[in-house]
Amino acid sequence: MTQFTLNGQPVEVENTPDEMLLLVIRDTLKLIGTKYGCGAAMCGACTVHVDGVAMFSCQMSVGDVEGAEVTTIEGLSEDGSHPVQQAWIEEQVPQCGYCQSGQIMRAAALLADNPTPSRAEIVDEMSANLCRCGTYNRIFKAVERAAQEV
Amino acid sequence: MTLTMNRRSFLQGTAGLTFLMGAQGITAVRSEAATGALDVNHWLTIRADGTILVVHPSTEMGQSSYSTLPQILAEELDADWADIEIEQLNADDRRFGNQLFGGVLYTAGSTGTQFYFDPMRKAGAQARDVLLQIAARAWGVDKSTLRTDPSVVVGPDGQAAGYGALAALGADGITVPDVDTVALKDRAQFRIIGHDVPRRDVPAKSTGQAVYAIDVDVPNMAYGAVLRAPVEDEVPLSVDDTAARDIPGVIDVVTLPDGVAVVAESLWSALGARGLLQVEWSRTSPFRSSNSDATLAEYAAAAHAPGAQGAVWAEKGDAPAAIAGADKQFSQLYLSDYAYHGQIEPMAAVADVDADGHGAEVRAGTPTQSWTARTVAQTLDIPVEAVRLNMMTMGGGFGRRTALMQNYVRDAVLCSRATGRPVKVIWPREDDVKQGTFRPAAAQKLHAGLTADGKLDGWYHKVATPSVIGFFNPLRWEVARPNDVISMRGAESKFYGIKDFRADHLIMDRHARLSPYRGIGASYTAFAAEAFMDELAEAAGRDALDFRLDLVKDNPRGRHLLEKVADMSGWHTRGNRALGLSFAGYSSSMAAGVAEVEVDADRGDIRIKKIWAAIDAGLIVTPDNAHNQIEGGIIFGISMALSEKIDIENGEVLQENFYDYEITRAHQVPEIDIYIAEVDAPPVGVGEVGTPMVSAAIANAFYAAQGKRLRHMPFTPDRVAGALDT
Repeated sequence: MTQFTLNGQPVEVENTPDEMLLLVIRDTLKLIGTKYGCGAAMCGACTVHVDGVAMFSCQMSVGDVEGAEVTTIEGLSEDGSHPVQQAWIEEQVPQCGYCQSGQIMRAAALLADNPTPSRAEIVDEMSANLCRCGTYNRIFKAVERAAQEV
Repeated sequence: MTLTMNRRSFLQGTAGLTFLMGAQGITAVRSEAATGALDVNHWLTIRADGTILVVHPSTEMGQSSYSTLPQILAEELDADWADIEIEQLNADDRRFGNQLFGGVLYTAGSTGTQFYFDPMRKAGAQARDVLLQIAARAWGVDKSTLRTDPSVVVGPDGQAAGYGALAALGADGITVPDVDTVALKDRAQFRIIGHDVPRRDVPAKSTGQAVYAIDVDVPNMAYGAVLRAPVEDEVPLSVDDTAARDIPGVIDVVTLPDGVAVVAESLWSALGARGLLQVEWSRTSPFRSSNSDATLAEYAAAAHAPGAQGAVWAEKGDAPAAIAGADKQFSQLYLSDYAYHGQIEPMAAVADVDADGHGAEVRAGTPTQSWTARTVAQTLDIPVEAVRLNMMTMGGGFGRRTALMQNYVRDAVLCSRATGRPVKVIWPREDDVKQGTFRPAAAQKLHAGLTADGKLDGWYHKVATPSVIGFFNPLRWEVARPNDVISMRGAESKFYGIKDFRADHLIMDRHARLSPYRGIGASYTAFAAEAFMDELAEAAGRDALDFRLDLVKDNPRGRHLLEKVADMSGWHTRGNRALGLSFAGYSSSMAAGVAEVEVDADRGDIRIKKIWAAIDAGLIVTPDNAHNQIEGGIIFGISMALSEKIDIENGEVLQENFYDYEITRAHQVPEIDIYIAEVDAPPVGVGEVGTPMVSAAIANAFYAAQGKRLRHMPFTPDRVAGALDT
């Protein structure tokens, strides 16, 4: 049994502690905004915040987050009003959209840590996440737009 | 009777208008005063409350047809876009089929807007005309005195009635205008087409709310993970599943034609148990001798062979004779490796087979209602009509999901039938790579002649590669043989006027699973053609732009793109900047591109500093999305040019995941400057036009930087180093 805080709410799951956090979030807790893309820390589609830090949830076991605060895309804002999400909509970033939850979570963690990142800092941070549709330049612009709002 | 009420006056009614339409346009109109019930076979329904339901006949994989196609209809209907609701077509209903694919429901080849533009415009125009007739009858005025504002008919005396209110009046006795003569708007009147209407799916995709096939959750659902034969055509001979069945949560172990599936209460359990399966595989497959290096050598030898000929793909004049008689002759060989799609959503499907086995509900993300329904029907030996499909938005396609037999769907169906549960099958990333269907390896030999004054005099392009269609869709191959557009597109060089021209397909033996890939054949034929064009220009002592401009005298739109991209990139004043030019495209969409590179000779690293692109894709329905698609296509082109390569040894794919199959990351993306020409011509597609020209632009820029030619794609560091050592 593992207890942690998910999107501000205490949760308790009975999954074995070694089960992949990503699968617990998706299949047990039914929050499907966090995506499986590679299971190998290479694509970032599974990015969540653990105690405010962007993490690959495919590289963590649920036991690793005992007592921690986990935030998924569903908990970033109640109504999609987070400045990063709004910037994503304004810049019309997504194409297939599958990687974008992870992109948005990484961008939000970046801006929480560094509210005025340079373009080079944005590019460097966002290089952890893949977008096969090739929306990278829009991602950069959206992060810059959001930075003005945060 | 004068109607001045707004649409809310009619909210109490449930009436609506439904327009029945096939590919040729609306053929009947039905008012449904009693129920307002929707029918999936109908293009649009105008409800009494003013909402308008429009069918989306394609499937959405990121290209935005989910928004773009209904916008086309909404434009001619003169609807308020906010009133439009979009209904995904979930059945193999051929009345909505894409006639560019013989009526099959198949979202591929950048053809969605190209094909559906006319029928969906006409559907909207016919519906608008019917609404005008209803209003004219109600108000006792002539139809010609009426006009429309968004979702409102306005009369000569300022009367106004919302579309919903008019729909509620019914259309009994009203004649639908003929589809071939119905009046369409002038482009100057467009309010939606050509304007930046936000995509419908972006808010959900920005908040984690979009539901993909891999996200589907239905009651009592189990999870399937499949251990697959390591080599194509091998089958499981015996299975020891003792240890696997001991894992808590395992429901059953199901033997499939080419694998063994574990079905469990969770994906975690299924994956864990899969790792404990002991399977003895057959060892008789001829693919056990497949090695990608040997394959490419085999294809190269075929392309190289003196007098080699293949199935003629395109021909004009007499290329061999012209080249033989030219003042100078040149030839060169270009190679390209297998490439993998790398869509970020792995293959996934949920199937729920009826207890009696006579039907099934399937949720999957595929480009084709037709072939998905067929897959399920064939697997269960049931009629297509007994398949209940739900077409999910896809986490990328790029050709990965296009096959006639959708294997991952078949897996889910077989697992569900065996266990009596709804089952979600997911192919983990490693399975998707190792069981991938690839862009084929290819060897291309180009021959050309030059006149003494440096002009092209004959062009002969030989492409040695297998038939892709023959593998991924044998039904289509029966019809198309020997013309394989997937293998050969681009080799026709149709944007140039070359007097004596020929392109042949040397149809080689297949040594791997194959499928379309973004840009299909043009992703490698344009590399070879445009790299060769640069080599010819140099041999002729000509500027690469001027040499090409000779060849677009009869293609003013193409000439405009070349001149435009030269202006954008400062081609004529480039000095020491390492610029490379390329001119290609996809189908009838054209792209002229210039890449600027820097080369780190020690690391064999090519850095793309900037790309300029000038595009002509006919009329652009959604400009902002077109820009996004073209930019994405260019980045895809960068990715395949620099790093994408699949290796096969003894029939097994060596790569596993994004750590050994690298696709372009954020830090590798250059600034990209895109110009889209405004032309008075039908739309011809933006999804793939950006991709084909990129690799040659990079190779040509590399030559400008280093004076060495790159003739084997991708331009990996070892190949760059090898070129620099020559």
